Amino acid sequence: MTLPVAALALRRLLLVPLVLLAASAVVFGLPRLLGGNVTRSVIRSRSLASAPDPAAEARLAAELGLDRPLRDQYLAWLAGALRGDLGRSFTTRAPVAPQVLGAAGVSATLAVLALAVALAVGLPAGVSAADRPGRVADRAVDRVGSVALAVPEFVIGPALVLVLAVWAGWLPALGWGTADRAVLPVLTLALFPAALAARLVRAETRVALAHPSTVTAVAKGLSRRRVLAVHVLPRSLTAVLAEAGPFLAGTLGGAVVVEVVFDVPGLGRTLAEAIGSRDLPTIQAGVVVVLGVAMLLTLAAELASRALDPRLR
Amino acid sequence: MRALAPVVLVLALLLSACGGGAPSADGDGTVAVALQFPPRAGYAFDADDGGLLTKLGVAEPLVALDPQGNAVPGLATSWTQDGTSWRFTLRDGVTFHDGARLDANAVVTALTHVLGRPAPPRAITDIGLQVAAEGPMTVRATTTVPDPVLPLRLSSGATSILSPAAYGTGQQPSPVNTATGPLRMTEIRGSEGATLMRFDGYRGERARAARVDVRYVIDPQTRELALRAGDVGFAEGLPETSRAGLAADPSVTFSEFPSARTILLQLNQSAPPFADVRVRKAVTAALDRNVLANQVLGGSALPASDLFGPAVPYGSTQAPPPADVPGAQALLAQAGHGPQNPLRVRLWTFPNRPELPVLAQAIASQLQAAGVATDITIGEYDAQEPEVLAGRYDMFLNSRSYLSDYPDAASTLTSDYTSGGSYAIDGYRSPAFDALVGQLGTVTDTAARARIYRQAAGMLVTDAVGVPIVHPRNTAAEKGVTGFVPDPLDLRPVLPVLAPAG
Repeated sequence: MTLPVAALALRRLLLVPLVLLAASAVVFGLPRLLGGNVTRSVIRSRSLASAPDPAAEARLAAELGLDRPLRDQYLAWLAGALRGDLGRSFTTRAPVAPQVLGAAGVSATLAVLALAVALAVGLPAGVSAADRPGRVADRAVDRVGSVALAVPEFVIGPALVLVLAVWAGWLPALGWGTADRAVLPVLTLALFPAALAARLVRAETRVALAHPSTVTAVAKGLSRRRVLAVHVLPRSLTAVLAEAGPFLAGTLGGAVVVEVVFDVPGLGRTLAEAIGSRDLPTIQAGVVVVLGVAMLLTLAAELASRALDPRLR
Repeated sequence: MRALAPVVLVLALLLSACGGGAPSADGDGTVAVALQFPPRAGYAFDADDGGLLTKLGVAEPLVALDPQGNAVPGLATSWTQDGTSWRFTLRDGVTFHDGARLDANAVVTALTHVLGRPAPPRAITDIGLQVAAEGPMTVRATTTVPDPVLPLRLSSGATSILSPAAYGTGQQPSPVNTATGPLRMTEIRGSEGATLMRFDGYRGERARAARVDVRYVIDPQTRELALRAGDVGFAEGLPETSRAGLAADPSVTFSEFPSARTILLQLNQSAPPFADVRVRKAVTAALDRNVLANQVLGGSALPASDLFGPAVPYGSTQAPPPADVPGAQALLAQAGHGPQNPLRVRLWTFPNRPELPVLAQAIASQLQAAGVATDITIGEYDAQEPEVLAGRYDMFLNSRSYLSDYPDAASTLTSDYTSGGSYAIDGYRSPAFDALVGQLGTVTDTAARARIYRQAAGMLVTDAVGVPIVHPRNTAAEKGVTGFVPDPLDLRPVLPVLAPAG
């Protein structure tokens, strides 16, 4: 790694705690400052039809520490967070950190598998499409890719379930934890990035094929396969890698649809449930985890791009 | 096609590691179910989760319920009242899932715990309930004033009894291997699901399946697809759009039954224009609730003619009258509203129940035909509640269960409609109504209470206290599973009676 890349990594890494600190203050303060009675919301989230009861609200506020000044609440939370204690859920009273990290692990697994499938399909499809314009792969990248990019996951997911689980009976319709249960959510989540990767790689490959160094390599008599692997693919990968980091980060917190449709206990579903029940400690922890991972993944993608493409160094 | 080779390889690797297809109702007596509501608070009894544990067939309260909602022996075999004091005689030979024996001390430990929570369950709050052991198998429960329905209150799942080992741990009591029901909870998978095993030491009718795999699936379409794919053999809360298809599917047994819930258009009587009863009656006349139920909601709800629906014996089963637009216009004219002084009102509702925004649009359209312009706001309930409770609204489309954890409507009538009630959104003030509902504090007889409920609901209709719009219906379906018994009260055990078909 060259020095500028190391300097970039160091600078970005130093920014991570500062951004997380600022984000945690915003995430902590916003729900409390936006109005509404947080304690009442917590009671309703636990017992839906409960009528307002000021005495019960006062007791619960004292138990949850919501009766303290906002600054004290935040500082107490921050002190806990620095020790790895992200607080206790308002609804379940259980420690938040294990729950959020467990869910983040599920989402990360889902996202990495989806990205692997997307790259496994998108890279060769994009290279093949650029190498043989107008042929099957090129047309597929256009047509299948258009569908994959346009149709949302809440349509694709149930459609895959209907075909592969209900009609064919090959796969279970929902759940997580076994390989067969992972197939449908991974496929659903992989379709969009696969189509995107194929199109990016096709465009970059076309540019790379016309590059003088590639033309020279061809003129020297190198095999087509070697030309593609050595001279074209690294340049094409740069664009894909630039997208991979944000995709993984976005998926970690944003695969709500896939996680709900397939009943996957990931971070997206956990956050959606926490927002519905105004479980602020879980929301805070989830957002901080997503932000931290997003920043690290984006940095990793940027560093990888620079390592692969000399023009960026 | 060579481009697809890598993904086929990845999928093949994934599949090669799989542990076989998802289980449904198989030969070893396992039933997999998809329920719609996950535990709200990690199976806390001071949340709605006590009721969930009863529905699962895991935990039991002192008092059970028959299908009509009458109190029958549960963990207690009998009870007697003496003023503010009730004595409950416990059942002999009851064993907790961990092997401990039920006795008065165990009951006192459990009830004292739940009574000491910051926000105790609705069923036993505000009555000054205290419990004490009066003998090895006798528990004395006292209330501030004589309570005619304490046994019904103690049928709430929130008052279920766990083994003493579940308490005093410093943690929330866990129902894993500590309850008394026909199914023993052996594993909790967060809000994802739980594993239940038949409790062979159960004193009564044994659970019909040896094992029940519970999944909490929050998306209705996912529940339906899981049932169709055979991932689960029982699912509840199915999508409205799938009702006809499921009912016509010969491999599926589809059930539809009323729920003890009413969607109400609440009208703010504490301020104009709905302080005028003629305007309230005009709105009632302008709405065609049969159309709203049968066409707008596609039959997934029943049109409501009063607060109580067919889920309870005292509920109305009559269809409401059709819309009377000329009558509504005449009433509005009497109240001073017409083309020269058109009535314009705000209608608020919230999206947590997806049918509410749809209904709000349809209601606005029907009111428009009578000359009432409506501005709809779809917002967060938590933000709306303080405003409507303070009387700063016009119309509020709300969804309300009229039974709070136990089969008695007194608490809803009191909190929602008496003067100064804690949830009196309509701002209804009627000494006659207050006196009528006040009688419930001394009436024990079930039939007499039912008469009061009918009378109270009639008064609300006469005084046009809001407009009961529809009673939503519940749905459930079995595939490869038998035994489901619909429970409109949604208070009785469901899972112990499910069994694999064949």
